Amino acid sequence: MARYEHVRLSHGSGGKLTLELIEELFAKTFASQPLQELSDAAVVSNPGGRIAFATDSHSVRPIFFPGGDIGRLAVAGTVNDLAVMGAKPLYLSCAFILEEGFSLEQLACVVRSMKATADEAGVEIVTGDTKVVERGKGDGIFVNTSGIGFISEGRDIGLHRVCAGDVLLTNGTLGDHGIAVMSQREGFSMTLELKSDVAPLNGLTEAILAAAPNTHFMRDMTRGGLAAVANELVLRKPYGVRIFDAQIPMHHDVLEYSEMLGIDPLLSANEGKILLAVPKDEAEAALTAMRAHPLGEKAAIIGDVIKKPEGMALIETAYGTRRILEMPIEEQLPRIC
Amino acid sequence: MGSFQPALYKNPLLVSKLAARIAELAEKLERPVKIMHICGTHEHEIGRFGLRDLLPNNVEVLAGPGCPVCVCDSDLIDQAIQLALTPGVILCSFGDMLAVPGGIPLKGERKGDVRMTLLDAKARGADVRAVYSVFDAALIARDNPDKDVVFFSVGFETTVVAVAALLRRQPPENFFIIEANYYTPPATHLLPKLEGFNVQGFLLPGHASAITGIRIYEHLPELGIACASSGFEPVDVLAGVASCLRQLTEGKPLLENVYGRVIQFEGNQKALKELDEVFELTRMRWRGIADIPASGYKLREAYQSFSAAKKFNAVLANSVEKSVHEHPKGCRCADITLGLAKPSDCPVFGNLCTPDNPYGPCMVSHEGTCRAWYSYGMSQNHIEIEVV
Repeated sequence: MARYEHVRLSHGSGGKLTLELIEELFAKTFASQPLQELSDAAVVSNPGGRIAFATDSHSVRPIFFPGGDIGRLAVAGTVNDLAVMGAKPLYLSCAFILEEGFSLEQLACVVRSMKATADEAGVEIVTGDTKVVERGKGDGIFVNTSGIGFISEGRDIGLHRVCAGDVLLTNGTLGDHGIAVMSQREGFSMTLELKSDVAPLNGLTEAILAAAPNTHFMRDMTRGGLAAVANELVLRKPYGVRIFDAQIPMHHDVLEYSEMLGIDPLLSANEGKILLAVPKDEAEAALTAMRAHPLGEKAAIIGDVIKKPEGMALIETAYGTRRILEMPIEEQLPRIC
Repeated sequence: MGSFQPALYKNPLLVSKLAARIAELAEKLERPVKIMHICGTHEHEIGRFGLRDLLPNNVEVLAGPGCPVCVCDSDLIDQAIQLALTPGVILCSFGDMLAVPGGIPLKGERKGDVRMTLLDAKARGADVRAVYSVFDAALIARDNPDKDVVFFSVGFETTVVAVAALLRRQPPENFFIIEANYYTPPATHLLPKLEGFNVQGFLLPGHASAITGIRIYEHLPELGIACASSGFEPVDVLAGVASCLRQLTEGKPLLENVYGRVIQFEGNQKALKELDEVFELTRMRWRGIADIPASGYKLREAYQSFSAAKKFNAVLANSVEKSVHEHPKGCRCADITLGLAKPSDCPVFGNLCTPDNPYGPCMVSHEGTCRAWYSYGMSQNHIEIEVV
């Protein structure tokens, strides 16, 4: 691998260069037992419980952004999808689609970042795949991860458990990832202290479930942000949700940047924030547990599940007025004026 | 002008004091009052903060012709589409314009009187790019010297100033504009003459007035209409409403500037001078409304080399099939733009016409009244809730 600075088609052909790439970069960095064996499938042990299984593909631009990179995103994304189901994530797969000519040094940075994030989350990357597409047929690098986690006996978290009266909480400031990436793309990031919130949240979700074992629902608020998740929560349901605008934690950079460009931070993506619905009598416990965790210091109660209007997500403003929180429709673009 | 302090102008205590002041003034009113704003951003912010919830029953704030996307002549949209489909052309536009239906019928794809948009042109292979500003479009021209880059120059006074500034600074020779900039004051002159027009106050636009100043609205108080220039934060909007109500209760309509941190009475002279050097006023077609004299900007003789209409006049001379109706059948955008109807009065609002499948222009841009009403649920006066 050291012979080349850039990805060549042969790195994905299954021959000598592929083997070199796997042995010298992937197996060496990820350092999991199943990967060292170079077999067709990883064979792993089963600690028991129901299995949660998730997959996620990543194509973020820029690849490196304030607070993270595509590798950290790929690991945290799948870990979080499992964690919000109440699962303990253990094993990940990792598949790369690389464009001919992509920098191998950058690839190594992404791989090291994946390993660091996996260690942080306590998961192993146990199997993988690499394909190389001709120059012009890809966009540098795409990363897919799939993951397996185990749900311990008695846990039942999901949309079916949400009911009117539940309290809605989040673990911190909203919109950070979307605005951090957008500001980097538009060349504003140097003026901001904002960083993406991308992080594996399985430690946090375990802390929540220990303190509030009857938690009804958790979801990570990725693309579409709070607006998307709040609307998914009420879609065709006999209840609605109400979000208290003034109680949503927000980084001042997010507030100012979105004011400036006329975009709505509630539709902006997060990569380390969850929305949880908890029965009223466990809300304080969940809040305290989150605030005691490094990834939940700014946790807050931001709303509740209401009886009526059904099927609607509402914002209640600091002035006591109400409006709809709309399901995101398109990519947000700055307006004419 | 002070530093950027959005929180101050969102302050709940100030908002509640202003709401109380409005209620107090409203009690003195002898008859219900309607106040019209003429800037799409006002409607958007009124929706976003639910400000109509704070108004007494006898005070209504309604939207007027404040959305440049909504009033843009469908012929100009069709020209943009024609040019976008011309080989060798890159068509640059603000994101807002891409989904606005023009006059060219598009058969078979969706239900109703569906018209072609720039996005439809893009799907047919046209090189259409969304830009944040005219300067981005000029950069695209610089980077593509073998192509002709056409900027669809839509917008009111605020936006056209940037275009003038660019054209004065020698943009690339392969850069052209479709002249679709509108000048709002003549439209406000027209409004009081409309049959059924029943408005006692105007909130003057914040951004556009920063350029033009507000002296140009002097004729409105003479007609008995109260006027207040207003910014876009909740405090600004309510202060504007309170100003209009105070003028009306005192029986002394005037021109009050309650957005002094941005607007000067005489406007921005430097910007106006640059604007005047590049553009002159011309008669423009306001979609579905009227041909209004001196209500739009055309390039002066010395800047004609940037005119897409001139450069591509052979292409644009090719006739395309167009609908005879400016707005699609059933669409009430024209009445809604004039404040003569509400979005909820329109038969296609929320069914045939939604933000993900806009039928009429007012549903496309966030500046559009229908879009704001749909997004923020403004068809309901006050959303009642029931909690556990």
